[in-house]
Amino acid sequence: MCIYKIDCDNMRLNIVFGGQAGQGPNILTHLLGESLVKQGYYVFYSRDYQSLIRGGHNFNVLTFSDNLVNSNNKEIDVLVALDENTKKIHEKDLKKDAVVLEGKHENMYFAGRLFKVLGLDFKILDNELKDLKKRYKENIAEAKKGYADAKAHIKLVKPIKKNSNFASGTEGIANGAIKSGLDIYYAYPMTPATPVLGELAQAQDANNFLVLELENEISVINASIGSAITGAKTMIGTSGGGFDLMTEALSLAGMANVPLVVYLAQRPGPASGVPTYTAQGDLNIARHAGHGEFNRLVLAPGDPKECEELTSQAFYFSQKHKIPVIVISDKHLAESFYTMTEKPVITKSQKTTKLMRYNSYEQDKTGAATDNPGIIKANFDVRIKQSLEIEKQASKFEQYKIYGKKNSKNIIVGWGSTKGAILDSMQDLDCKFIQIKYIEPFPKQVVKELRGKNIILVENNATGQLGSLIAEKTGIFIDGKNKVLRYDARPFLCNELNAEIKKRLK
Amino acid sequence: MTTNLNTSVKPTWCPGCWNFQILTGVKNALTQHKKQTAIVTGIGCHAKIYDYINLPGLNTLHGRVLPTCLGLKVGNPNLTVLGFSGDGDAYAEGAEHLIHAARYNSNFKYLVHDNQVFALTVGQPTPVTEIGFKDKTTPGGVKLQPFNPIKIMLAAGASFVARVFADVKQIEYVLKEALNHRGFCFIEILQPCLIFHPDTGHKERTHMLGKEHDKTSFEQAWKKAGEFDYNRVKKIPLGIFYQVNKPIFEDQFPQLKKLGKSGWKDIKR
Repeated sequence: MCIYKIDCDNMRLNIVFGGQAGQGPNILTHLLGESLVKQGYYVFYSRDYQSLIRGGHNFNVLTFSDNLVNSNNKEIDVLVALDENTKKIHEKDLKKDAVVLEGKHENMYFAGRLFKVLGLDFKILDNELKDLKKRYKENIAEAKKGYADAKAHIKLVKPIKKNSNFASGTEGIANGAIKSGLDIYYAYPMTPATPVLGELAQAQDANNFLVLELENEISVINASIGSAITGAKTMIGTSGGGFDLMTEALSLAGMANVPLVVYLAQRPGPASGVPTYTAQGDLNIARHAGHGEFNRLVLAPGDPKECEELTSQAFYFSQKHKIPVIVISDKHLAESFYTMTEKPVITKSQKTTKLMRYNSYEQDKTGAATDNPGIIKANFDVRIKQSLEIEKQASKFEQYKIYGKKNSKNIIVGWGSTKGAILDSMQDLDCKFIQIKYIEPFPKQVVKELRGKNIILVENNATGQLGSLIAEKTGIFIDGKNKVLRYDARPFLCNELNAEIKKRLK
Repeated sequence: MTTNLNTSVKPTWCPGCWNFQILTGVKNALTQHKKQTAIVTGIGCHAKIYDYINLPGLNTLHGRVLPTCLGLKVGNPNLTVLGFSGDGDAYAEGAEHLIHAARYNSNFKYLVHDNQVFALTVGQPTPVTEIGFKDKTTPGGVKLQPFNPIKIMLAAGASFVARVFADVKQIEYVLKEALNHRGFCFIEILQPCLIFHPDTGHKERTHMLGKEHDKTSFEQAWKKAGEFDYNRVKKIPLGIFYQVNKPIFEDQFPQLKKLGKSGWKDIKR
């Protein structure tokens, strides 16, 4: 039996599917993932792909267990190599008794072999292939051949059957928007925000909303504001570069009191950066984008369920206070699939705007531009009062979440997609994890959890932006040696992060 | 229009500014217009018109009038939407939206107050300022050829392309025609700036296109558009250069065709 251990007795298997773009490792990965989730396993897979359409080397890492899984490991139990290059690249990470499936075959042949190796019943694969609803005859023939050519190699621990949902962060955002009563979604394509555009475009007819692609991000946000002032519920989506282009109009939404939900899916910057990989480098710009002083919220989900919940909260706050709200995610969360066992809690929101006189200038009661110092000050006073109300209302939501050992002196802090790797890596450790979900307004009460503790910061960026935010809001400075920062455009892996945290425990 | 279009805001345009004529012409045309109307303005002297017309809408950012108008039409296709820009707004800061607006052919009207200068920032050249124009920022004079917005709009596929002078009657005439046109209407208004650009586009040098002009003919429109290259020429043709029926943006999306009087606002989920 092939078991990966991180000082606990869980079965945790790591399967890598690699090949050239266009060879279809995605279908194969998803098919196995879906099947395993239906059997009751916890499955997590992430995608590593290059910015090209055919050729190159793409691979997916699928990790599954009978216990919680929210991240991948480095060492490989099973390698599915759709081309020769895959074996060369991943050989170094193979475990001693790893299984390698290779050779020139159709990808459903590999599916057959893989199911056999994992000791899974062929019926399960047959059902999945039926669900695919295309090329069933060809697929089943290939799968049968593969199944016959392999022998059962790994004995899996039987999981407890449960009703879970296999979803990506992208699906979470899209479902959250639909359940919040989205009317119009505007976007310009940019990885890794584009999958939400595709997801919503596919769902628009059935749910009677509209998805539009316009000439650039500037047009996207300004059209969204135009629609919002007629009373429509609008949302826009982009990544860092597109968000930069939108910032002037973000400030307009703040000045004119227009509700606006912005989905910001981060990728590594600066500039074009590393388009198809992951990072958490845009926390600061989400907080500060746009000139002048205006109110906004910045919400950071850490898994697909939270994507749904925080998107609905974004609609709630944007409608209630007529301000922009940013939901910040990243490539790793957007394009990875997670096993969700709990149903999201959706916060309902009303449509609150109507067509009246709006202005980008400081304005009087009639909506006309003004330079009257009394009116200007009064308008700012309204915004200041509004920010206090927002803080008060936000405190009714779960602005941060605590996991792990309640009384531990070791506190891990993080935000967004690092949640998965942190949860997995701390399972056997004496520590507590505080996940910050509300970046703005920042939950200042978190200070009581942090004071006097050994704080370990985990972020997918080079400078520790959440660490700076905590220092700004609480006066607590995290020791430089306690900052675990990954900035090679790759997500944290469970076992590597486990080692990094262990080194820093007190 | 049932509402009183006047506001109590005292205009801050210079005394005698041609913008007053545009304001009156627009109000005259709208007085008989029965549908709910919204206006969008950019940034510059033209944008002050927002405060002098009692209609809802948005005095938006510099250069962003067109996507804002599109957003209003998508939010509620039953609204009449008028966008106002200056030449800086339309041809410089927001030029990328211009060709797409022509391509989309959404059913709103776009009026460009063209004084061939950035007036509110005290007189710098715009993309339609003539060669030789001098100001503090261009001591050697403008050296680049201005572009021809009429030709650009024709090439981009606009379904209604017109140019008029900032004269009450001409504004009233062209806006009424535009309100009856189903699709994107591009209306350029020559509006000399009394302070920073007083001697270009003078009324005396303009003439209306004659009865012989076939506004459904792209070739005739193109030829007439070429007569004024935005440098100083003797004759400037005015009127509706081109007008044809083309499918409009709002008709392409069944979701929009289903909407009632208030647009998405009324959709309960």
